[in-house]
Amino acid sequence: MSSADFIALSPLLVLSAAAALLMLQIAFLRSVTLSALLAAVGLVLAALSCVYAAPQAPLQVTPLLLLDHLALLFCALFSLAGAVTVLLSLDYIQCHGDEPEEYFLLLILSTLGACVLACANHLASLLLGLELLSIALYALIAYPNKSLLPLEAATKYLVLSGAAVAMMLFGFALLYASTGTLSFAELGARLAQLPATDPVLMIGAAMAFAGLAFKLSAVPFHLWTPDVYSGAPAPVTGFLASVGKAAVLLVLLRLFLEADLFRYRILVELVGLMAILSMLAGNLLALLQTNIKRMLAYSSIAHIGYLLIVFMVSLDAGSRALGIEAAAFYLVAYTVTTLAAFGLLTLISARQAERENVELHHINGLFWHAPLLAGLMMVALLSLAGIPLTAGFIAKFYIFSAAVSGHNWILLGALIVGSGISIYYYLRVVYHMSRKPEQHHPQPTARGYWLVRSLACLLIVAILLLGTLPQALMSYLRSILS
Amino acid sequence: MMESLFYLASLVAVMATVAALTRANAAHALIYLIVSLLAVAVLFFLMGAPFAAALEIVIYAGAIMVLFVFVIMMLNLGESGTAREQEWLAGRNWIVPGFMAGLLLLELMLALRHGAGTTSGVAVSPKAVGLALFGPYVLAVEIASMLLLAALVGAYHLGRRFIVRREQR
Repeated sequence: MSSADFIALSPLLVLSAAAALLMLQIAFLRSVTLSALLAAVGLVLAALSCVYAAPQAPLQVTPLLLLDHLALLFCALFSLAGAVTVLLSLDYIQCHGDEPEEYFLLLILSTLGACVLACANHLASLLLGLELLSIALYALIAYPNKSLLPLEAATKYLVLSGAAVAMMLFGFALLYASTGTLSFAELGARLAQLPATDPVLMIGAAMAFAGLAFKLSAVPFHLWTPDVYSGAPAPVTGFLASVGKAAVLLVLLRLFLEADLFRYRILVELVGLMAILSMLAGNLLALLQTNIKRMLAYSSIAHIGYLLIVFMVSLDAGSRALGIEAAAFYLVAYTVTTLAAFGLLTLISARQAERENVELHHINGLFWHAPLLAGLMMVALLSLAGIPLTAGFIAKFYIFSAAVSGHNWILLGALIVGSGISIYYYLRVVYHMSRKPEQHHPQPTARGYWLVRSLACLLIVAILLLGTLPQALMSYLRSILS
Repeated sequence: MMESLFYLASLVAVMATVAALTRANAAHALIYLIVSLLAVAVLFFLMGAPFAAALEIVIYAGAIMVLFVFVIMMLNLGESGTAREQEWLAGRNWIVPGFMAGLLLLELMLALRHGAGTTSGVAVSPKAVGLALFGPYVLAVEIASMLLLAALVGAYHLGRRFIVRREQR
């Protein structure tokens, strides 16, 4: 490996070094504040090192990783999301569970997994990145060891996700058996020489795709999502919903692009069917929820449905560039908004002993005793619903115009119906927040409160900025994707 | 010749796995699981991957053995446990797994006598595996080390839950 390789890999190297340093610190001196500080600094440094690595891109480092501008952009995004999660969890983890230091170590490792996924262009690195991301997440979900709900959520996720990954691995093995390669680009070249109706190939592709769809929680592989989301600690849920989903979607998009799987019309149409099912089922089931975390879980299923539209759009080579651009923008907006929503949920639920459950009636009258918090929550929800002036609107509009240019009218119809339904349940939360206050008077927690509060403000500012001045990100995406 | 050995070993693997899944007794299921893993190791050997075969035995069969010992140790406490253990390990329970394992041993002997022929046509030596892992795929090894670190730290923290509870009791 040359020095250029090391410079290009610097985000991953910084993350690994931060993990090693944090482990040494825990071994010699246990201190939550120091661990959190170290983790946050490490993650921010990793994000900054993406800027340092950018001149080398695009560069293929060993057969496993491709460091291009898109990968570096998402490495930076994931690292920043990790840093935000560290700061959001600081207060939470101190009063939940003993020995909170390893939490931050696991969070760094999970972010490293997401970054590996963002750079992966080889099935081996895909699998390793995915496993690193999820194994750290199992432990993070089960981290608070004073209540049983997180343990239940982690067990469910572990067993189901283990089965899904095993299925995916079997699919990879079948693909390898018929093509003899694991690298995305070579896979595409070999596949072009084989007949598309080869049964081994079709079964292999279906199994591999089912495993990835499970991780994305696209319908019909979504059954684990609400239980895991509602059982996990709120900051971890935010991380799982934003980074965990975005990384997998990014690698799926790269697999389809580099191996040119778009030429298999039936596979892409299957993705389109999943998109429609996810949009409708996610939004309809979200209507029935009274637990806010479960509602957000179903809404995240619907958001994955919106994102999967991009695959059908990319079927037509002419509108493929617009489709990828829309997906990248949507992923950025979705990550920021989801983190903000779950961060604020952490703040709201920070006032209860059992924090894993936030019911709608818990937030009754929030506007009256915590106007700032409620206002921020409202912006986050409006962005998820796709109301103008927020990042969510621009992102949805992007997907919408991509679908129009690809003439995908059925998907477009599902998108409109889904968005219409979603406005009802997002606004229902706002309605509950604005109701007359009841006896339920929450007690603000003291430590680290200002930090989380300013962080939440920062995220909301980011959402509004992306919503009102999206040109900078749009032109950047266009320049790196062309 | 090699092909028929291969199919015989796969038959043993499938049958042992089915038996492992259907046994009601955990200890018996584990014995069949070990036989199944041994059969897979023989399959690897016949396909020309002796290194993978050795790893299969050392890591999987070895680790399962340890698990087996733990199960016996934890489930059988006291006099009644000893009696139950003797009943579990009665001679008749060993006949089928023993026959399967013996068959696999016989296959291995035959394959060794016949020399280098492999079903896939290419034999991969341990040296080639090492060169690939620490050559082009060195990053995979590094990422895997981080993966193991995450698993280790996670297992430590989750295991602590029970240690702490026991101390409090």
